[in-house]
Amino acid sequence: MNAANDARLFVVGWDFRGAAEAVRARVALSAEEVREGLRKLAGVGLVAESVIVSTCHRSEFYSLAQGDHAGGDLTQFVSEWRGLDRAVLESSGFRRFGGEAARHLFRVAAGLDSMALGESEVLGQVRQALSIARETGTSRVVLHRLFESAMRTGKRVRTETEIAAHPLSIASIGVELADKVFGDLARRTILVLGAGETGALFARHALEAGVRDLRIANRSVERAEEVARGVGGRVLPLDSVPAELSSADVVVGTTASPRPLVTRKDVEAAMRQRRGRPMFFLDLAMPRDIDPEVRDVYNVFLYDLDGLEEVAAENRRRRVREVPRAESILEEELGRFLSWFGNLSVVPTLTDLKRRLEELRDGELARLPAEERERLRPLAESMVAKLLHEPMRRLKSEEDPSRKLERVEAIRHLFDLDRRPDGE
Amino acid sequence: MHLLGWIAVLLYAAAEALAIRSLLRPKGYGGAPALVVAGLAAQFAHLYGAAKTLGSVPYRTLGGSLALFGWMLGIAYLVLVLRHRERAIGPFLIPFVLAFSLLGVLLPSRAPADPATSGSLFAFHVTLAILAYAAFALSFVLSVLYLIQARQIRRGRTGVLFARLPALDVIGRMNRTTVAIGIVVLSVSVALGVAWARQVWTGLGDAKLLFAFVTLLVYGLLLWMDRRGWEGPRVALLSIVGFALVLFSYTFVNLYLSQSHVFR
Repeated sequence: MNAANDARLFVVGWDFRGAAEAVRARVALSAEEVREGLRKLAGVGLVAESVIVSTCHRSEFYSLAQGDHAGGDLTQFVSEWRGLDRAVLESSGFRRFGGEAARHLFRVAAGLDSMALGESEVLGQVRQALSIARETGTSRVVLHRLFESAMRTGKRVRTETEIAAHPLSIASIGVELADKVFGDLARRTILVLGAGETGALFARHALEAGVRDLRIANRSVERAEEVARGVGGRVLPLDSVPAELSSADVVVGTTASPRPLVTRKDVEAAMRQRRGRPMFFLDLAMPRDIDPEVRDVYNVFLYDLDGLEEVAAENRRRRVREVPRAESILEEELGRFLSWFGNLSVVPTLTDLKRRLEELRDGELARLPAEERERLRPLAESMVAKLLHEPMRRLKSEEDPSRKLERVEAIRHLFDLDRRPDGE
Repeated sequence: MHLLGWIAVLLYAAAEALAIRSLLRPKGYGGAPALVVAGLAAQFAHLYGAAKTLGSVPYRTLGGSLALFGWMLGIAYLVLVLRHRERAIGPFLIPFVLAFSLLGVLLPSRAPADPATSGSLFAFHVTLAILAYAAFALSFVLSVLYLIQARQIRRGRTGVLFARLPALDVIGRMNRTTVAIGIVVLSVSVALGVAWARQVWTGLGDAKLLFAFVTLLVYGLLLWMDRRGWEGPRVALLSIVGFALVLFSYTFVNLYLSQSHVFR
């Protein structure tokens, strides 16, 4: 990578792999802090461009700067700004340069570097990082293109492979299974047993899935009402559960009850009232809220934590199997970005521009009669040379690497220097 | 003359290949429905040509009636694709369209005209009977898919089939509609057949008629039990039994038991 003389792309970062919780907490930045950091970085003139990606799992500073010291200078900057020992930052963080820095961002955007392989949230966080940097004016020609390419890679990986297709969380797996029984959960009635942490979490999950008829049964009615208010649900006392069972399509057990709250007899009675319409039970409680024998009742589906964990493990394996395909998409996009970036060097661009103008000159001269051609050749040659002189001088003397790259790109675009032989 | 029939068979085969591909790699419709449309058009032209030479709907031979059967099943597939946006059914349904159409071109189709079996009453009777059987064949395919999907869900197998096949509730609803259409159409066909037979025969004692009633009974029971606690795998199994009966009635009864439903 020798783009634009010595402007280098690099990333300095701290993620869940190398950095301890305590370090990560100090370098994790809010949107406001990201803005502040970008402004400070631009103010001290350390880098020409910068974008900061900060999530709860990682904080990464992508930059374009002159010279080889930028990585160390940036670490020093973070150490002063966040009040952390530089040695600690050095030992727990990572640095990548050039193509490796680009590859790292592409992997992050594709979810290949995430704790939960293939998760999609990170793509939104990458997009947000770019938009903050654009607002503060610190993302320019190179980082803008880099992040756009990374986001395109992230999208392609998720639509062209199944890396994000199979859910990993217990609640999403439960919702996915129930969805395949009932088609549309929004029109179904969901009964959540227990208003503890899991119960409340599942109630919110159901709300997000569009469920309108949500009921919450709990020993403490006050606590149930509190949760129900947040999600627009209806509250039931725990002892009315058997009687209310028949109106529920999906029942989720999350209580700490020592005995099952739903027995086989209850379910058989409910199914008679439902005239055989299917019922779906998710038992997330330990010990169980729903008698395992319920599984044997006709047209009843029952899953417990062990079963759901197995599905999660299988889904994780499925995602892992998609990694090679995801990586080949990534390499394709990375190759495209790097060839664009590589072409941004000043010297080859000037050579290309010179060749283009000389081609034009020779083409025009060739159309003239032989003797006139020889008479006009010196004039044509000196015009091309003079035309090239000023742009060359100005490009070479430009000090801001980003502006230099912007201009190189403009020349390549305006004179169509990237035209391939096949006319693409 | 069979050229158009063969073209249709080839188009269905290509459609099946595309349907399987789009099941595994879901990106757009993959072209299968378009190929089925082309196949249906070619097959229609083929059947129409045969009908013109015969001066009647070409159902008098086993081959002709199977081809008609395949054609109607193809129409049913298109209805599912267009109405329910349901393309996961394709790879499972198109093979039936293909098989019946292939038999249609392979089996003999020249038959001596029988003056007694002309007239619109008779034509409607046979055509509707074939349509009803096509509906039951579709119900059979839906039921098999139901059982496959129910098994995937029960075992927590969330793979390709799980993802591509519709929800149980959706398959169940499509199945119910299909069976209801089959029952109505078969009833009308039987009524027309009886009306026609009263003009031509002296008695109505025919094994085929008996089997038509048994078929109606099984599918009627299916719809009734669907609302009385059997919704789910039991109804799917009953539909599979019903279709076995239809196949039996279509082949064995026609060949050995019935006096009046032989192909001639």
